[in-house]
Amino acid sequence: MSLALEASGLHKRYRRWLFGGPGQTALRGMELSVPRGTAFGLIGPNGAGKTTFIKCLLGIAWPDSGSVRLLGASPADPAARARVGYLPERLHLPDAWKPPAFLSSVARLKGLDVRPAELVALLERVGLGDAVQRRIGGFSKGMRQRLGLAAALLGSPELLVLDEPTDGVDPLGRVELRRLLEAELERGATLFINSHLLSEIERLCSRIGILSEGRLLREGPLEALCRTEDAWEARFVPGAPEAALMAAGFRAAADGGFLIDAKDAVALNAALERARLLGALLVELRPASRDLEQVLADTLRGSA
Amino acid sequence: MRTFHVAADLLREAMARKWFLGLGIAITALLLGLVGGLRLEVVDGALAATRLFGSLVEASVRPADVALRPVFVAASYILFYGGMAFGLLACADFAPALLSPGRIEHLLSLPVRRWELLAGTFLGVVTLGLLASLYGAGGLLLILGAKTGVWTWHPLLAAALAVVGFGTVYSGMLLSAVLVRSAAVSAASGALLLLMGILASYRIPILASMHHGPGRWAFALWSSLMPSLSTLADAAGNVAAARPVAMAHLGAVLAGCVLFSGAGLALAIWQFERKDF
Repeated sequence: MSLALEASGLHKRYRRWLFGGPGQTALRGMELSVPRGTAFGLIGPNGAGKTTFIKCLLGIAWPDSGSVRLLGASPADPAARARVGYLPERLHLPDAWKPPAFLSSVARLKGLDVRPAELVALLERVGLGDAVQRRIGGFSKGMRQRLGLAAALLGSPELLVLDEPTDGVDPLGRVELRRLLEAELERGATLFINSHLLSEIERLCSRIGILSEGRLLREGPLEALCRTEDAWEARFVPGAPEAALMAAGFRAAADGGFLIDAKDAVALNAALERARLLGALLVELRPASRDLEQVLADTLRGSA
Repeated sequence: MRTFHVAADLLREAMARKWFLGLGIAITALLLGLVGGLRLEVVDGALAATRLFGSLVEASVRPADVALRPVFVAASYILFYGGMAFGLLACADFAPALLSPGRIEHLLSLPVRRWELLAGTFLGVVTLGLLASLYGAGGLLLILGAKTGVWTWHPLLAAALAVVGFGTVYSGMLLSAVLVRSAAVSAASGALLLLMGILASYRIPILASMHHGPGRWAFALWSSLMPSLSTLADAAGNVAAARPVAMAHLGAVLAGCVLFSGAGLALAIWQFERKDF
């Protein structure tokens, strides 16, 4: 499978050039591959190196060692960057301009020949159809974020790199943007998202990476990361004796099921036998899964 | 090509700034004031009298082109030093704004080479200076030409020389902005460069008045590297007045300015290419 981006042994330390001391290490041997056509979410605490990784990926910062490939080419190659749409964490926009003027400028720098009607259609797509004639200076944070996303979407890029894409966007707006990104995914684009909003990442991304102190601690498909080895979720025929099951060591799950802690098959079958003896008939059994918040917390705890 | 796009965006940005709106209004008001208030009595190509808002300024009879020379010289110096001072303040923020967090990351992610961004910024600022200078000088020429019948392109050439001087100073401002992202530092470095350019223009009399020693040697070395901005301003004044100019000397001064600009821009690009954002 071809890769949208690939990082190998990436090290980055920011040096202070005046009275600076040793500087700060942002990436310590980062290794990551993201296949084309997937949605990848990079999560981690503040200062983990997420934004630095994106900067190295796009040639905004230069790594001290290691290699980065962006759509099979070097990030320094403008032809590779032409196939990428990027939304920075805090996009600075020209306040005196109107959205179409800003998008035209980005399109020109991307080497795209975009007609004004296409720009308006793009603005409508990101939910700024009513603000086409307004100056950017009067935009809310969420509107600025939408405009930044429109700029990233110009030219239907093969790879979208989004740093906190829903920051400042209201809950309904997040749903709209998520649908828009899902449509991009269906188009065949690769999404690389860096966000603190784990629920957004969980809904959109099929693969997750957890970064802490410049190291990728865990990486893989969402289900694999969230799956637990020693807990199971069981569903019984309606009318199962809940109190008796709880007394027998079962815990209530969020959706009407029950959680069982069992380290191995013997323990699992013993628990199910207890349930059967209580009159609870099993209809579904699957490995219990944690939410991303728990996965992150457990991973960071494990690395400490 | 993208260099021109960056330059064009800078011009669009400038048009939205109050500084430049103010400059445009000020130049236009000055020119309109001249149109309304200046009465020149020209008889057979000779200027008989000049009245400004009704008051008699000049009553001696002289050929009109000769009589206008001091006006063009004064306009040339105002354009050179006044324009330079205005440009130092008004353009100091362009490069720091380009390098501001959230903007530079976005620009660098686009298929634009780093050198194109800086070269485009330099080109945009110089074009802005050229447009403002040509607007002021061209307007003055039109007004005086219409009133006296004397049509000359020399003040336009003087305006172009002023822009070369400004470009020289701006290359240093651009370098300082790449090193330290601050409009204040950029403006201060431009002012310092202008001052050093004025001192370098008088290096021979200054050296003659200095005692031999390391200080004199350092000044000789340093001033030989600086652009001779006052010499260029004097040359622009002479060109505006259509006085004879030593072309070899002017060529050397211009070459020095262009070389200095090129070196400043090259250093800025070299720093910019290796910088992290």
